[in-house]
Amino acid sequence: MTPPIIKAMSDIATRLTVSPAPHWRCGRTLHAMMRAHLAALLPALLAGVYMFGLPAAATVGVAGSVAVLTEVLCLRMQGRDVDVDNFTALYAGILFAFLLPATAPWWVAAAGAVVTIVLGRTVFGGFGCNPVCAPLVAWAFCRMSWPAAMDIDLNLAHFMSNDPVYQLQRFGVEALSQFDYVDLLLGRQLGGLGASQVAALLVGGGFLLITKWIRWYIPVSFVLGVSAVSTLFWFIDPGTYAPPLFHLLAGSTVFGALFLATDTASSPVGKLPQFLFGLIAGSLVVIIRVYGAFPDGVPFAIMLTNLLSPLLDRVRPKPFGGK
Amino acid sequence: MLRIHYSLESQLKDGIADIAAPEELSIQVRNLVLKTAKRKKVGFGSTIAEHPSQSGGAFHAAASGTVRDLDYHHLVIACGEGGDDAEPVNVASLQPGRELLRTLQELGIDIAVLSSRAETLVINGMNPEPGVSVAEQMLADEMENLEAGLDVACALIEPQRTILAVADASEYRLPGTTPQSIKAKYPNSLDALVVKAVTGEEFPSNAKIMSVMDLYALGRVVRTGLPVTETVMTIEGRNYRVPIGTPIRHLLSCLGIKAASGDTVVLGGSFRGEAVYSLDEGVRKGDYGMFVISSDAFPHVQDVSCINCGECVLNCPGRIQPNLISRYAEYEMFEMAEKHGLHSCFECGLCAFSCTMRRPLLQYIRFAKDQLRAAGRSEQA
Repeated sequence: MTPPIIKAMSDIATRLTVSPAPHWRCGRTLHAMMRAHLAALLPALLAGVYMFGLPAAATVGVAGSVAVLTEVLCLRMQGRDVDVDNFTALYAGILFAFLLPATAPWWVAAAGAVVTIVLGRTVFGGFGCNPVCAPLVAWAFCRMSWPAAMDIDLNLAHFMSNDPVYQLQRFGVEALSQFDYVDLLLGRQLGGLGASQVAALLVGGGFLLITKWIRWYIPVSFVLGVSAVSTLFWFIDPGTYAPPLFHLLAGSTVFGALFLATDTASSPVGKLPQFLFGLIAGSLVVIIRVYGAFPDGVPFAIMLTNLLSPLLDRVRPKPFGGK
Repeated sequence: MLRIHYSLESQLKDGIADIAAPEELSIQVRNLVLKTAKRKKVGFGSTIAEHPSQSGGAFHAAASGTVRDLDYHHLVIACGEGGDDAEPVNVASLQPGRELLRTLQELGIDIAVLSSRAETLVINGMNPEPGVSVAEQMLADEMENLEAGLDVACALIEPQRTILAVADASEYRLPGTTPQSIKAKYPNSLDALVVKAVTGEEFPSNAKIMSVMDLYALGRVVRTGLPVTETVMTIEGRNYRVPIGTPIRHLLSCLGIKAASGDTVVLGGSFRGEAVYSLDEGVRKGDYGMFVISSDAFPHVQDVSCINCGECVLNCPGRIQPNLISRYAEYEMFEMAEKHGLHSCFECGLCAFSCTMRRPLLQYIRFAKDQLRAAGRSEQA
């Protein structure tokens, strides 16, 4: 059957756009979102380069560019439009690099970037479909495969300082007297090249929070979770467990709270689910640091909680008028 | 920086203005029962179509003329010498009951809300959407019609209490109603949310809601005895009395507004309205605004996958998950969409408004509702 002609286009001079409601939009785009996120990483990147020198910049460069190239390749192989100009691949690659020691071998950065894109994203359907925060998948992969290349203390042995969370795990709470909280805050600590720049990360994360590119529910509840559980341990025995402020400033807690846990695809969507998500992830950080085999609990805590996201998403209010 | 204003406030400067009579009327008649034919002469107020449902109002010619063109979708009247104009009906003399309802329906009023009783009657005096100020304009200028409409509505519905919902800063009152102020921010003007604010219940069975526009139309019909042939709409901040069927091209040329290729022209509000495809399209009953949105004003809708940022869920006044429902609709799993609260959606459009990926969420929701309705009909048949 030939479809009926509704009405001949009588006026071709003005061809109107027909689009579904709403006709106003808030103006948010993925492109703008990723630009804001990259801008938010900039202070930490600069602080990292200042602290660890040019190797830090090189590592970020390798990871970022390999991630973008991998994304191009993956999209080509799937026959999809190449849309790396939306910066999502670059952002994921840099997030991964931020977890690496500054002097990590170039091939670890490159391999990790490939894993971020292929295993972290593409196999699940691309950006926005990953059940687990993609850079963390790569981090876990590299941490298991090449423990020496990923070891912070080993890679940064030429620095006079130590990795605080590693010290806590190996030598107990007495070893923490060598650290000054102001130093930790200003990023004068060993750790992931960007993940340890606490003050700079707070500046970038604050920018994202003010511009509402990330909501406060996850970061705040994450910090709340870390503080609550560490305070609990600390009350039980201050001689065995580190004080809460140490847990907040050491390792990649702030980085996790502001950048990794807030990853859109792998975190829940509602207000309460997001809050619970942050709370659980934050609590797990301290629990892994106290009982776990890995000194910095943040990556595994967030990965584990990512797996709970679909469950947490079920914690939702009744629909309007629902019974 | 993301600062979005959904303010429903308006500064009314002038009264309702008239629009010069158009040369042609273009009326959508799809799915209606036609009461006229091509080349027939119609008079002002003569019935041209009836609504197929039991309660929908009839449609009337807003000017006399000849039916120049007619297909299953459009009826075009060339204005000029026509048939006999409709005689006024003495509605005021009718007693509340079936006859009054039928007369109102014949004069173009949708009687669904009037045909049964309710404990509470809420009059929605909020401007329906940002940029539309018709409701406040009527409260300011059309008190006589509103009062006449309220009398008839109360006689038919017999409510125990009648409440006027108004924006919090406004001073508008309607005799016979208790005022209740509501924050003047979209989506608070939506019927479901106004009823919730007034009664404290969600979708209560013993409350009914009418907008002041409904009340105005009712009052005008009762006072003049003539059918509904015009709508009041906001165009660029001013309110105009526009005959139903007036082509958009005529409105634009009268008011000196330009619409270029690629622009979107919207009838109704910019959150829930409908984009027209041609400037020859006529104004419909119940259109309270017209917007010309230039093609570069907002990022366009695109067909991409959801990234689960959660903005739609956080902005949803119906507490549903548009991200999930839209995906169910996309993959034709309509029953699952229904299970996840599809029918709690009152189509405010805030989900698609705030979507980072610019997915057509409201479109998906309407699609799912439509498909379920169609499935229900075919089951009945």
